[in-house]
Amino acid sequence: MCLDMNIFTKISQWSSAFGRVFRNELRLMVHDVGVLLFFVGLPLAYPIVYTLIYNPEVVRKLPVAVIDDSRTAASRDFVQRASASPSIDIYAYCNDIPEAKRLMAEKKVFGVMEIPSDYGRNIAAGEQAHVSFYSDMSLLLRYRTFVSALTDLQIEVIQDITSEKIAASGLGSLAGDMTAPIDSKSNILGDTEQGFASFVIPGIVILILQQSMLLGICLLGGTSAERRRRNGGIDPQQTVAPASATVWGRALAYTVFYFPMTVYILRFIPEMFNLPHYGNPVDYLLFILPLLLATAFMGQALNYFMKERESGFILLVFTSVMFLFLSGLTWPRYAMSDLWLWAGNCIPAVWGVEGFIRINSNSASLAEVSTAFSALWILAAVYMVAAIVATWKIDRRKSR
Amino acid sequence: MANTGFKDGVRREIRRLGSRKMYIFGMLVVPLVMAFFFLDLLSPGLPNHVPTAVVDLDHSPMSRSVTQSLSALQVIDLSERCESYDEALDRVRQGKIFGFFVIPADFEKNALSGNEPTLEYYSNMTYFVPGTLAFKGFKTVAVATSGGVVQQTLLSLGATPGQISSMVQPLSLDIYGLHNPWMSYSIYLCPSFTMATFVLMIMLMTVFSITIEIKDGTSPQWLDAAKGNIWVALASKLLPQTVIFAATGIFIQWLFFGLSHFPLNGSLGWMLVATLLAVVASQGVGVFICSVVPNPRLALSLTSLFGILSFSFTGFSFPVESMYGFLAIFSYLAPIRYWFLIYINEALNGVGLYYSRYYFVALIVLPLVACTLLGRLRRACLKPVYVP
Repeated sequence: MCLDMNIFTKISQWSSAFGRVFRNELRLMVHDVGVLLFFVGLPLAYPIVYTLIYNPEVVRKLPVAVIDDSRTAASRDFVQRASASPSIDIYAYCNDIPEAKRLMAEKKVFGVMEIPSDYGRNIAAGEQAHVSFYSDMSLLLRYRTFVSALTDLQIEVIQDITSEKIAASGLGSLAGDMTAPIDSKSNILGDTEQGFASFVIPGIVILILQQSMLLGICLLGGTSAERRRRNGGIDPQQTVAPASATVWGRALAYTVFYFPMTVYILRFIPEMFNLPHYGNPVDYLLFILPLLLATAFMGQALNYFMKERESGFILLVFTSVMFLFLSGLTWPRYAMSDLWLWAGNCIPAVWGVEGFIRINSNSASLAEVSTAFSALWILAAVYMVAAIVATWKIDRRKSR
Repeated sequence: MANTGFKDGVRREIRRLGSRKMYIFGMLVVPLVMAFFFLDLLSPGLPNHVPTAVVDLDHSPMSRSVTQSLSALQVIDLSERCESYDEALDRVRQGKIFGFFVIPADFEKNALSGNEPTLEYYSNMTYFVPGTLAFKGFKTVAVATSGGVVQQTLLSLGATPGQISSMVQPLSLDIYGLHNPWMSYSIYLCPSFTMATFVLMIMLMTVFSITIEIKDGTSPQWLDAAKGNIWVALASKLLPQTVIFAATGIFIQWLFFGLSHFPLNGSLGWMLVATLLAVVASQGVGVFICSVVPNPRLALSLTSLFGILSFSFTGFSFPVESMYGFLAIFSYLAPIRYWFLIYINEALNGVGLYYSRYYFVALIVLPLVACTLLGRLRRACLKPVYVP
C-alpha cells in the first residue's frame, strides 16, 4: 500500500470493497438452497411448529385414583370438591394401595389420593384430619398442576370447616368474621395464563434467530472452504477485500437479510398465537439489532472450524440445547455456577432471551434491559475482532 | 468361513473414524461434555433462594414479623427492600427479582380491627421455575399470617390452644412426589436431556458417515469392500460406531446411577439393555433417513430437525397426551421417547419389566423398519450423485 495514499482514498477503497462483499454475499446466499433453508425456512417454520407443540398450554383433567377408607359424607364431599377442579379427573376408586399402584404403572392415573379411615371421625370430632396424595414424578408439570389444585382445595375446605367451627363455638359473635382476618391476593406477572407456550416460545424464538443464522453462515463458510481446497487455496466466488471489509460486508448482508425474519418472529408469531406481547416494537427491534450483528460476527469467527459444507451440523446443532439451558429459561441463571454463568455470558442469544422476554412479556423498556443491551454490543465488538482474525487466517491458508 | 468382506469393511471404517477429528468430536466429546454439562448445571436440584423483594408500606411490628417470616423461607431470598409497588415492578422488569410481596399501609391496624387488609404478592411467570417457587413461598407466608391472626384473636377471646389448632388447621394435606421427594430438577431433567442429546449425535454421526461416502464418491469403493452387499457394508461400517456409542452410553448410565445416585428402583440390567437398544435404534433411524434422502446436507438437515424437535415432542416437559394428535404421532418414531418411558418405569418408578414390554419391542422394531429401504440406499451408493 502506498504511503502517500491519503486517508480518504483508503476509506473509499475500503467502502467499495465492503460494498462488493455485501453484494456478493447476498448473491451467494440467495443462490444456495441450503442457506435459504436455514435463513428463511427455519425461522419461518420452527416458531410455528414449536408453538403448535406447546399450544395446548396447560395440563387439564389429570386422572387420579381415590382410595377412600373413610367412606363418610365428609370424605365424599372432599372427593367431590377435588373432582370439581379443572386439573383433576377422578378416574377410579380403588380398594387399596396395590390396586392404585397398578393403575399408576399402567399410566392410567398420575396421582393417588388416600383418605384414611379416621377422616370423617376427625372432621366431626373437631380434630385435625389428614389426606395423603401421591404424585407421579415423571413430569414436573403434572406434579406442579396437582400441587396448585390441591393447595387451593385445602384452603377452601379449611375455610369452610373453620367458619363452621367458630360459628358453633360461639366465639364468632364476639370476633365477627374471623375465617380470613387477612385477605391475600396473588398476581401473576408476564405469563398471566401460566401457559407453557406463552412461557417457552418468547425465549425459543430468540434462539431460533441465532442458531439459524449461525447454521447458515457456517454452511456458507464450509462451502467456501471446500471451493478453496478444490482451487488451490483460492475461493473463486469470493471478492478480494481486506479482512475487515469482508467481515463487515458479510455481517451487514446477514443482518439486512434477517430483518424481515426478525419482525415476523418477534412481532407476528406472538400475536398470531396470542402469546404475551406487551412490548413496544421499537424497543425490541432496537434491542435485537446488536444480537443480529453479534451473531453475524460470531458465525464468521466459527467459520474457522468449518472445513466442509456439512460441518455445521455436527459442530453446531447440539449447541441449541446447551444455549437453551444457559439462557436460564429452564434453570434460572442466579442458580448457576460461575463457569456456566460465564459460558452463557459469551452467547448472544442468552442476553437476547433475557432482554426480549422482559420487553415482550413484562413490558420492560429498552432502558430497563440496558444490561443485556450493553452486553450484546460488547459481544458484537468481541466477535467482530474474532471474525476479522478468523477471516484473515482463513485467507492466509491459501499461501501454505 | 467365506470372506464376505466384513473384516475388511470394519478395518476400513476404523481407519476412517481415526482419520478425522470430527468423528471423535461428534461421537465422544459432545455426548460426554453434554452429560457433564447437565449433571453439573442442575446439581443443586432445586433453584432455591429466588431473588425477591418485600414492599413494606406499614412499618409496624406485625409487618416486620411478616417480613421476617419471608426471610426465613428457603425457597426465596429477600434480596431487596422496595419503597413502592412501582419500584418493585421496575426491579422485576430489570430482572433483579422474580416477584415481590406487598404489605399495605395500616396493615396491622386493619388486621386487628377486623377490617380485612389484603396482602398482595406478585410472581413473574415469564420464568416458570423461579416464578413458581416465589409464588409458593409468598402463598405460604400469606396463609400463615392469616392463621396467626386468627390464633391470636381466639387466644385473646379465651379459647384453649387445642381448640385453636384444630380450628385453624382442621385439615392437613400431604403431597408426596413419588421417587423424587426432593423435587430435584437434576433427577427430572438430566437423564432425558443428556440421552436425547446423545441420541441426536448418534443419528447425526450415522448419517454423516454414510452420506459423506456418497459426497466424496467413495461409496462404490465402500460397497466393493463388502463384495457389493449393502447389509455387509452397513454392518461393517456401523458396528465399530455401535461399539463406541455403546461404551459411551453405558458410561453415561454410570454417571446417572453410579456417580450421581439417581433413583434406580428397578433393574440396572434392563436400563443398560434399553440404552444399547436405543443406540442401535438411533443408528437405524439414521440409516432410514439416508435411504430416503441420500444427500449429506438434506439428510443432516432432516436429522437435525427430527432430533431437535424430539426434545419437545417426546414430552420431557409437556405431556404427549396433551399435545395435538398430528404432532404426538412423531413421538412414536423417536427412539428417545421409548428410552425415556423405560427410564421412568424401570429406574424412577421400578414398576417392573412387564409395563415396559412394548417400549422394548418398539426399540427392536425401529431399526428393522429402517432396513426396508436398503435397496434404495444401495443404488444411491453405487451411482453417487452429490447435490450441494
